[in-house]
Amino acid sequence: MISILFGVVTMITIYTVRHYIFTLNRLFGFQRHPYIDTDTADWPNVTVLVAAHNEEKVVSHILVALMAVSYPEDRLVVIPVNDRSSDGTREIIDRFAQAYPGRIRAFHREGGKGGKAAALKDAMALVETEVILIFDADYIPGSGLIKQLVAPFFDPEVGGVMGRVVPLNVQSNLLTRLLDLERSGGYQVDQQARMNLRLVPQHGGTVAGVRLSALREIGGWNDNSLTEDTDLTFRLLLAGWQTVYQNRSECYEEVPETWSARIRQIMRWAKGHNQALGNYGMQLLFGKHLATWRERVDGFLLLGVYAMAPITVVGWFLALAVFYQGTNPLHGVIAMMSFAAYAATGNFAAFFEIAAAAKLDSTRQRICLLPFLALGFLVSILAVSRAVVSQMMAPVTGAQFHWDKTERFRAPS
Amino acid sequence: MGQDRTVPGAFVNPALATVLLVLLAAVLLTLPLLPALRELRIKRDAAPLVVIQQYAGEIRHFAHGFRHHIEGLLGPLQQCIALGTTATGTLGPSDEYVLLGRNDNASLIRAGKMNGSTCSLMVAIGPDMALPGGLTFLKEVYAAGILVGGEGVTYRAVLGERDIHLERASKVMRWAHAVGRFRADHDCDLYGRVSSDQEIMLQSGCMFQRLNAPCIAMPCASATLDDAVSPAAGASNNRQIPERPLSRKLIVDDFEIRSGEVITGNIVTRGKLRIGAGARVLGSVKSNKEMVVEAGVAVEGSLISAATMHIGPGCEIHGPVIAERGMVIESGTQCGSAQTPTTVSSPIIDVEEGSLFFGTLWARDEGRVVPRG
Repeated sequence: MISILFGVVTMITIYTVRHYIFTLNRLFGFQRHPYIDTDTADWPNVTVLVAAHNEEKVVSHILVALMAVSYPEDRLVVIPVNDRSSDGTREIIDRFAQAYPGRIRAFHREGGKGGKAAALKDAMALVETEVILIFDADYIPGSGLIKQLVAPFFDPEVGGVMGRVVPLNVQSNLLTRLLDLERSGGYQVDQQARMNLRLVPQHGGTVAGVRLSALREIGGWNDNSLTEDTDLTFRLLLAGWQTVYQNRSECYEEVPETWSARIRQIMRWAKGHNQALGNYGMQLLFGKHLATWRERVDGFLLLGVYAMAPITVVGWFLALAVFYQGTNPLHGVIAMMSFAAYAATGNFAAFFEIAAAAKLDSTRQRICLLPFLALGFLVSILAVSRAVVSQMMAPVTGAQFHWDKTERFRAPS
Repeated sequence: MGQDRTVPGAFVNPALATVLLVLLAAVLLTLPLLPALRELRIKRDAAPLVVIQQYAGEIRHFAHGFRHHIEGLLGPLQQCIALGTTATGTLGPSDEYVLLGRNDNASLIRAGKMNGSTCSLMVAIGPDMALPGGLTFLKEVYAAGILVGGEGVTYRAVLGERDIHLERASKVMRWAHAVGRFRADHDCDLYGRVSSDQEIMLQSGCMFQRLNAPCIAMPCASATLDDAVSPAAGASNNRQIPERPLSRKLIVDDFEIRSGEVITGNIVTRGKLRIGAGARVLGSVKSNKEMVVEAGVAVEGSLISAATMHIGPGCEIHGPVIAERGMVIESGTQCGSAQTPTTVSSPIIDVEEGSLFFGTLWARDEGRVVPRG
């Protein structure tokens, strides 16, 4: 039992060190923003795919925003991908397509496999451009965002691009404020540090872009994946394409306002991520491919992020069991391991990261909410653990993966 | 507590001690939550992070904002021009200004509240004007006509509706925009943004950060701008733009494109890259380490280095040119073209006299125009 616990704590410690490396890099390291100054160019033709499944509350907002962006009109086509919506999404999209002929081309999907990847896969029949940008329907891109996301594609090594997601409905309640802090840590520190250190910035599937030739080279969208973004990140990496992160390419999104919606969202992410871990983990670490050793290690750790939740829970129970065993010849080691585990489960490393992100964002008072993040982490750990267990049981129970759409809370215009 | 009799039992009630212990633990646990609860209730910092939705990074943003700010002064300025007079006043709550209706430095010095050679007013100049040397403007300068700034003048910001010509050793601290041509003589320091709707010409010794114009020239000492604008490698009219998408060749080590070689497709190297003299790449090129581009190379696409980049003389690059650590561009090199302007960016850029750019030249930390050779 003690050796298992030792293994658990070792893993937790590795992630703790990783958190600290990222945070210190963001605070004191060289910051890479190589493409952000590209403001003049012979801009290529671009297709923007807007994934929309029952998005009547929000889809008009993003279409209005996209029609106002600073990008040559004749080089930008927007394809709202209406994925089997049963609300008013179709009518809204059709209205916009009529109002902006040639600039908005509606794509209505009536049936087929569920999930965003499947919808994007079908919509590819309409895509004729080398650069593709992807947005979820609840996002509101600013005027300069399209150029910022396109600029990295002038680099022939870049296969994917990811921008920064900024919650818009922060004020709603405690959950939205905690998610705002989490997003801040995840993008301002984690993603940018990976960019700085030439590791593996993750494609997020929204406020993001992909090169068509790279996508074709890796076999297109994987409609078996629950998180097409993670899947894409690793397939691009294995094929020698870089995914780059643009921290200053910010875009507003709507975060879940209820705990149930949040739990469903994170469970889907966890299942998708673990699916990618199963599909690409060993290949990434030991396979013959074009990723560097840094990318192999960081990519593997990135793939393992959601697997750490149940491992941490197991570690907690093992630690309790060891404690109640009584005399223990390794009590000193256990004490150190407990300290490391404590640090890694949110009290130091992750909190430090989020506090650093708040500092980098020049926000002050929201840091006061940090103690509440323990609640957020606890919910996440339990939800993710539940997702992992159900995923492991799936072969026995016969449960099928299904794609849970995230509920929207914005008032329709 | 007290079981070992170190504390007399009469003084300790076990039940009370337990309650006190629980209360103390609860207080200690709650303490960090107090600021959190306060923030949750008062919402002092609950607004979304500021993402400026309407700002597209336009270099002329401040110039346009300033023009909008002084819109109300343009009518009175025209009156001053018509009457040949000078006027002063206050714009908004505190922006004191002086309007100059004639080319007369004495009026500027008299009305400009000069403290020695320092003018603390916003200055709007109607006619063409030559400013005396050595002045410092603490607020913006607006010029409706041609503005020639004397040697060693320091500007906070300057907007010219026609040409702006800064004489030797002038300084721009924040931004400058000329609707006509912008020219800076030797040894000027141009911090922040400098833009022109026509062209920018910088002499050697100038320091710059962000430049944008249809044409940016660093002419040789004896050359005119028209000389500078003639194509560097003479290949602009012979461009062979390949159909896209191009194939990609990924090389994990150092790589060299041989002199005179013609390559179609994109090249990515994980190591160093050298492009031999006179080579031609019908595609884009990226190196993850140092890149050296020898004389007379033509690249139809972009040129990207994750480290430093040295571009030799007489090269012609059509796409964006980016070096993450630093860049040297030798004389006679042309980046972009009048039809397809582009961006050249790096934290540190040394540009030799005789190079030519179309679009944006952006050195985040420092750019310098250096003498040829």
